[in-house]
Amino acid sequence: MKRRGRGMACMWYPIGFTVAANPSAAVVKVNEDGTATLLTGTVETGQGSLTILAQITAQELGIATDDVHVVSADTDATPMDTGAIASRTTYVTGNAARMAAEKAKLILFDVAAPLLGVKATQLEAQDHKIFVKGFPQRNMHIGDVANHARVVSGQPPIGSASFNPETLALDPETGQGKPFGTYVYATQIAEVDVDDETGEVEVLRVVASHDCGTAINPMLVEGQVEGGVAMGIGFALEEEMLFDANGRHINPNLTNYIVPTSLDTPEIEVDIVDSYDPTGPFGAKGVGEPTLVPTAAAIANAIYDAVGVRITSLPATAEKVFKALQAKREQQPKQIGTGAPPAAGASNNAAVQ
Amino acid sequence: MAEKPKVIEKPDVLEQPDILKPPAVAPLVTFPIEVVVPEVRQQTPAVGQRATRADGRLHGLGQTKYIDDMYFPNMLFAKIKRAGVASARIKSIDTKEAEAMPGVVAVITGSDIPCNSFGPSLKDQPVLADTRVFHAGDGVAAVAAVTEQIATEALEKIKVDYEVLTPVLDPLESLKLATPGVHAPSANIYGHKVIKKGDVEKAFAESDHVFEGSFRTQMVEHVPLEPYACIAQWDANGRVTIYSTLGRITLGRADVARTLGIPMSRIRIVATVVGGNFGGKNEIRAEPAMALLSKKTGRPVKCVYTRAEEFTSSTTRHPLIMDYKTGVTKQGKILGRKIRLVLDGGAYCSWSETTLGKACILSAGPYNIENLYAEAFVVYTNKTMTGAMRGFGAPQVCFAYESHMDDIAKALGIDPLEIRLLNAFDEGSLSPTSQKLHSVVVKESLLRAAKRFGWNGIGNGTGNGNGA
Repeated sequence: MKRRGRGMACMWYPIGFTVAANPSAAVVKVNEDGTATLLTGTVETGQGSLTILAQITAQELGIATDDVHVVSADTDATPMDTGAIASRTTYVTGNAARMAAEKAKLILFDVAAPLLGVKATQLEAQDHKIFVKGFPQRNMHIGDVANHARVVSGQPPIGSASFNPETLALDPETGQGKPFGTYVYATQIAEVDVDDETGEVEVLRVVASHDCGTAINPMLVEGQVEGGVAMGIGFALEEEMLFDANGRHINPNLTNYIVPTSLDTPEIEVDIVDSYDPTGPFGAKGVGEPTLVPTAAAIANAIYDAVGVRITSLPATAEKVFKALQAKREQQPKQIGTGAPPAAGASNNAAVQ
Repeated sequence: MAEKPKVIEKPDVLEQPDILKPPAVAPLVTFPIEVVVPEVRQQTPAVGQRATRADGRLHGLGQTKYIDDMYFPNMLFAKIKRAGVASARIKSIDTKEAEAMPGVVAVITGSDIPCNSFGPSLKDQPVLADTRVFHAGDGVAAVAAVTEQIATEALEKIKVDYEVLTPVLDPLESLKLATPGVHAPSANIYGHKVIKKGDVEKAFAESDHVFEGSFRTQMVEHVPLEPYACIAQWDANGRVTIYSTLGRITLGRADVARTLGIPMSRIRIVATVVGGNFGGKNEIRAEPAMALLSKKTGRPVKCVYTRAEEFTSSTTRHPLIMDYKTGVTKQGKILGRKIRLVLDGGAYCSWSETTLGKACILSAGPYNIENLYAEAFVVYTNKTMTGAMRGFGAPQVCFAYESHMDDIAKALGIDPLEIRLLNAFDEGSLSPTSQKLHSVVVKESLLRAAKRFGWNGIGNGTGNGNGA
């Protein structure tokens, strides 16, 4: 019989890593038509980081995402980057990109100031225009300024910058210190059906409330969360590398090492928690890794809620849950007779349906 | 009159021989050349927009070029011979027969690598094992041939004489073992971290209840759709260009420079579009070996891992053994927590130090705990190396601290949401390392998730809540 259970888990997770400094650098070049190129040493690994970096650069220059072309991941052409690791790209590389864009923007402001008859500090960039704060009618198109900068002023608008999260080394004895610049937080709640005859667990629904600071691109945040939850389900229920007595890996293939497919993936409801981190680019932190952190814990708690067995080792395969159920039944005194309702509280579960 | 039986018309294949032939090239696919930029990408302000990815269109049209799609004139294909034994001394490697095979252009072994060790923190990993094998997925020789098939066949002709040693597979056994160490004379415990705050024993004495729990997690792989791949191209100026699935090119270039003993200015690493990383492509793998094969042959050399190699010869997630002891008040307030973590570090250090640090710091959970003692060890075993993987130890410890939390809640008869809200960090809370936390929204995330889910206490709603 299928029994339904619900479980929650919350978590915290740092942005960046702690063994050594983890800086990123970036270069922003504004073209003569007001579009821009961002050079970054980070690598797009499918998560959409280059789109995020384009959005950050565009925001700082007051242009649109599509106006920024990103050149990435070539040691001959792009500045150093600690890499696509540790959920750090939006926060660390994003800060570097924002700062580089700001430097290029300040060159544009210097060029535009005499043309608009104000001080550079009185200017702002938005909607493809550089305008006087409080007097948006008094403006120039960013392309005209950039062209003027190169052709007339001889000050090509190029900015470069680097960022490294501020950290403090940990005391070797007590581990006290400031290992990371910032952290994100999240809660996931899972609903599962557990078949108490076979031990099979089916995840029906996961609600995931994640903090990522400002969501630079909510659609990409949702994509990360959905992918992370799917990965967490594999970690919770299916995936395991098995070794024989001689230390040889015996399931190095996708027939015997099971990863969740789209059919195993339940309804995932993504909720982005409002938050703003003053140390991140436009308040952003990150979201890559945390998305899978609480999933297995939430599912394990839901299994307990459904059938009353505590899974203490992952993955919670059908075999493992079945054995735990069997052990639990052996411990309980057998009820003799039929039809008699079990004593209150002794029953395992009301059946679903 | 009887209806004429239906005849299914069959095309006469003999009259139309073209339909029997497979197309020599893929049929020409036309796609819209006119770039239609979705409006949202053209909007300002850019931040907060649901902008589509610039690479999405290329993926959708099948135009993305992964390494396996790339080809250079005269390119060779490389395969790596895997040890297949978990722990052994290499007595000899005979590559003569493989080298003599038609189509095989070059074979290299560990002794050809100028500096045969690398690693993000400890330099304990060989590019190709030369004297010792530390896990079954270790490479012992690399072959470059004109086709992938010939390279694969040549692996069979390489004879390696091993003195097989008893492998250490259990991390707890490894923790106890002083000698023989997996990497003797180095100790089996290659990383240790402590986080100490307040007086945990005193807190236990003052607690109304003390709970204990033990949890374990397994070894898993990243399973990216695209396995590890690279192409190395050595040019006549002694400069090498490496196209790779690497996620960290700055570090990768330093590692290639070190292992090959050439200046960084002679190395160009281009990271291609990657079909999934999840932490599994954070350090070099076969790049130095491919660079040397390219140097030796004067031709570009490509290496793409098989799915099996992706499992056994790349990094994996650390299995953890986690012991928790927590003292609480009757109301569920945590007074003290003691944690011991043992990380199965596999054959090489890789990113274990980062994983150890993150696991230890995060192991207490997002809770205000004034008295804490967390101790973590990472040990060598003769298994596939463990390294960076999405979460760096956090999914493992979260499984432990959140399972433990529910056990405590149940024993005290408190709702799981309430006990978490009672203990969770607030703005300005001090972390286990006494870092003052900012932009803390753990309680908001709890309440929002509970509201969205329709959480109204365990045992309500869906009509079971058993455990109770």
